[in-house]
Order: sequence, then structure tokens, then C-alpha cells
Amino acid sequence: MTSPALLEISGVAKSFADTVVLAPTDLRIDEGSFVSIVGPSGCGKSTLFNIIAGLLAPDAGEVTLEGRDIVGATGHVGYMLQKDLLVPWRSVEDNITMAARLTRRVTEADRSEARQIARRYGLGEFLDHYPKALSGGMRQRVAFMRTLVTHQKLLLLDEPFGALDAQTRLDMQRWLLDVWRESGRTVLFITHDVDESIFLSDRILVMSPRPGRVVADLANTLARPRDLDVLTDPQFVALKSEIMHLLHGGER
Amino acid sequence: MKRGLFAKVALPVASFAILLALWQAVVVMFHVQSYVAPRPLAAIQAVTDNWSLLAPLVLQIVKETIYGFVGGAVVGVFFGVIMAKIPVVQKLLYPTLILSQAVPVIAIAFPLAAILGFGTVKPIIAIVVWIVFFPVTVSVIDGLAHVDNDLLNLARVYGASRWRTFWQIEVPATVSPLFSGLKIGATYAITGAFIGELASPETVGPAQSSIYIYIQHANSNFNQAAVFGITLLMAIIGVTWFLIVSGLESFSTPWLRRSTVRRWRRASPSSPARED
Repeated sequence: MTSPALLEISGVAKSFADTVVLAPTDLRIDEGSFVSIVGPSGCGKSTLFNIIAGLLAPDAGEVTLEGRDIVGATGHVGYMLQKDLLVPWRSVEDNITMAARLTRRVTEADRSEARQIARRYGLGEFLDHYPKALSGGMRQRVAFMRTLVTHQKLLLLDEPFGALDAQTRLDMQRWLLDVWRESGRTVLFITHDVDESIFLSDRILVMSPRPGRVVADLANTLARPRDLDVLTDPQFVALKSEIMHLLHGGER
Repeated sequence: MKRGLFAKVALPVASFAILLALWQAVVVMFHVQSYVAPRPLAAIQAVTDNWSLLAPLVLQIVKETIYGFVGGAVVGVFFGVIMAKIPVVQKLLYPTLILSQAVPVIAIAFPLAAILGFGTVKPIIAIVVWIVFFPVTVSVIDGLAHVDNDLLNLARVYGASRWRTFWQIEVPATVSPLFSGLKIGATYAITGAFIGELASPETVGPAQSSIYIYIQHANSNFNQAAVFGITLLMAIIGVTWFLIVSGLESFSTPWLRRSTVRRWRRASPSSPARED
């Protein structure tokens, strides 16, 4: 083995009543990587996220982050869902500092960091706005900034752009790549969208439905930085075809 | 802005004026005798002519209404929070609370007066509390039960304590539902005070009388102008109280009406001020 992984999962399994949602799963995520998980609904990917986030206790197995056991422990990862979960009664600035507000006193350093990051990524004009004044894409950007300022090394993004229209989604994907490159975080990204997973990631995990398990672990060597041209690259197309067959093999 | 003001003030005032005009028209057209129903102007005059006598009684019922409303709001929020947070308490208390509202208030008013002191103000306030707390409790329970579960999970992922989650997420999320309950309570509060005065005629208080005693006296003298006039006055007090509570709601939930944070609420200057 090479250097220790940031996140290590071994033998993690979960059942609800008689349904095996997640078969025993092993996973190693290297620091600084961008890993996508694709799979149909009900393949246990969100369950896996909830276990990593500490919201759910697995029936078996270990989860370690930088060597520390984090089973059932919260406060170790950044977490973002398709729903932006901005609180309507707080300004953009106060939403970005929400994690701090929920755990301790918000300092001037927190505020200035929030303002800085908002300005850097084009929302400086909206710091005093309530979320309802923002578009869906802007709201997701605020939600992502809120996730970033937690300073967690591992970010779990569960279909964050799933509710956006195609045009906005593409803009957000390009934006996310920029932020990821600049911030040096590790991203674990759930999506239904095969194109999205290839466009964004270094590695793609394909999962099968119940019992959920990882059926393929594919490396994506498309050169970075990536832009729209990648979407028609032969390597992209070949990878897409491989994933599509893995997902829909039986229906061919 | 002008349009908004017109819709908010002019239209309701106009509807009230139309109501009075219709009342006047019906009384005049059908030659209704004044001991059955007075003309609205006569009713208003019956109040203004006797204002010096009425003023302390009005003040008294307004006080009873406000004290009872505030008490009911506090009791309502208290029960709402403990019932929402402790399921056993909710199961234990909910049937009893519903029972308390199923009992006709006027029936419970007399024993309450006997228990708390006949002729004093205490039973009157207790009856207002009795009426006001229930919609408040129900709305707080519902509000706390419907806080977005994903949002609560997000707070957990961040490692938030239950206490901070409660104050930062659950409480603000319950402000709007709470005000729904408070507004229902606000419309009933004056009725509660009136029933209270009926059950416990305030003979001990400084005024040695009450609106209820006054109206009863007017009624037995076939002074319908005074009866209608005071009824109108009480309606106006009730509506005013409702409007005050609504105004408080708007003040407490600026994010529903505005797109930016008010300048004085901002924690620190961050970008040029914008007004919507």
C-alpha cells in the first residue's frame, strides 16, 4: 500500500429491517481526489454518505478518517444535499457561517472569511440578501460555500446539482472544478448523471441496486483542467459507454 | 408602495364604512324601531356622549385582554415546546388540553370565578389565558414538528448541540406558525375578557363596574344604541389587537417581505446598502 488514505471504509454494511441496503463495502479515498459514485436509486449511496457523516451507524465495519475511527461521530465532514438547506431567516453571509453558528460563537474572522469567499466566487453583491432573493444556482453556490468554510478535508456532496436545469448545472460543474482545484479538498460526489461524474472526477465508483455494492471502480485519466471539449473526447465517450453498460447491462 | 398602502388601509376601511352604511340603510328603509336596532350614528353617539364614563371601563377590558393574551401566549408557548420536545408529555397532556377547549368557556367561567375570587380581575385574566393558549400551543407543536428533517441532519453533521440547533433552527422555523396561533388567540381574547366580566363582575376593582355591567344595564333600559355602540367598540378593539399582533409578525419575519437584511440588523458593514 502507498500513503494512508484520507478516508478508509472496510466491511461497512447496513440493513433496514429485512432489506440489505448496503452489502459489505470497502473503500479508500485519497486526499485531494475527486471521486464520484454513480448508481440507480436505492443502491445505498446516500446510506453510505449518512454512515460516513455519522448520521447512521453501520451494522458492521469500520470508517476511519485520517486514521481516526469516526463511526457514529458527527462533525468530521462537510455535507451538502440536492436541497440547499439555506435558512430563509438568515442573510447569505450568515448562511455561509451557519456551521460556526451551530457549534460556537461566530467570530469576526468567520464573517470576513465568508465575505471573502462570497466575493471571490461572485456573490459579494448578495451578502445582505435573504436566500429567497437568489436563483437556484446561486443558492447552491452559497450552500457549497457554507460547506467549504467548515474547513473539513472531506466534502460529501449528494447530488448537489440534481435540481438545477441543464445549463445552470454545467455552469455549476465548471465552477465546482475551479473551487475544488483552488481549495485542495477531497470530494466524494453522488450523482445520477454519468456525464457529470466523468466531467468532474478522477475516479468513478459504479454501484448496483439492492443490495447496494460497488461493482466497478474506474479511473478517469482525462487531463485537467477540463472544460467543455472533454465532453466529446473519445476517452470520455468510451468511459461513458462502459459506465452505461454497467448500469443498464441487463437492458441491452 | 402607494398601491400597497391603498390595499392595506383604504380597502379595509372602505369595507367597514360600507357595513355601517348598509346598517344605516336597512334601519331607515324598514323603519326599524330604535329599541330593536339603532342607527349606527346613534350607536356611535351613545359611546361618544358617555365617553368619560366609558373610558375607564374600556381601559379596564383592554388591560384584561392584553394581560390575558400575553399570559396565554406564554403558557401556550411553554406547553407547545415541552409537548413537542417530550413525546410522553404530549401524549399525556394533549387529550386534557382538547378537553379544556371542548368545555364551553362560559360554563367553566363561573367555577373559575369562585375559585380565583369572585369580583376580582384574576378569573377574567384566567379565562382569556384559557382561550388564547390553546391555538398557540397547537401551532407551536405543529411548527416544531415540521422543521425540515434534512436541515436538522445537516446541523448534526456539523456537530451542533441540541441546544444550539433548537435556538438557531427550530425556534426561527417556528416563528411563522406561532404567529398563526397568536392571531387566532388575538381575535378571541376580547371575547374571553367579556365572558370573564360576565362571570366575575369586577366590583372590587377601581372602576367598581365593567363594560359587561354597563352593557347589561343599557340592555335592561332598552338602550339599544348603547348596546350596539359598545359592541362596535369592542369589535374595533379586537380588530386593533389583531392588527398589532399582525404587525409584530411582519416585524419578526422580515425575510418573508424583504430581499435584503435591514441595515440596523446587519452584524457588520459588508456591501453597499440596498433597499428593495
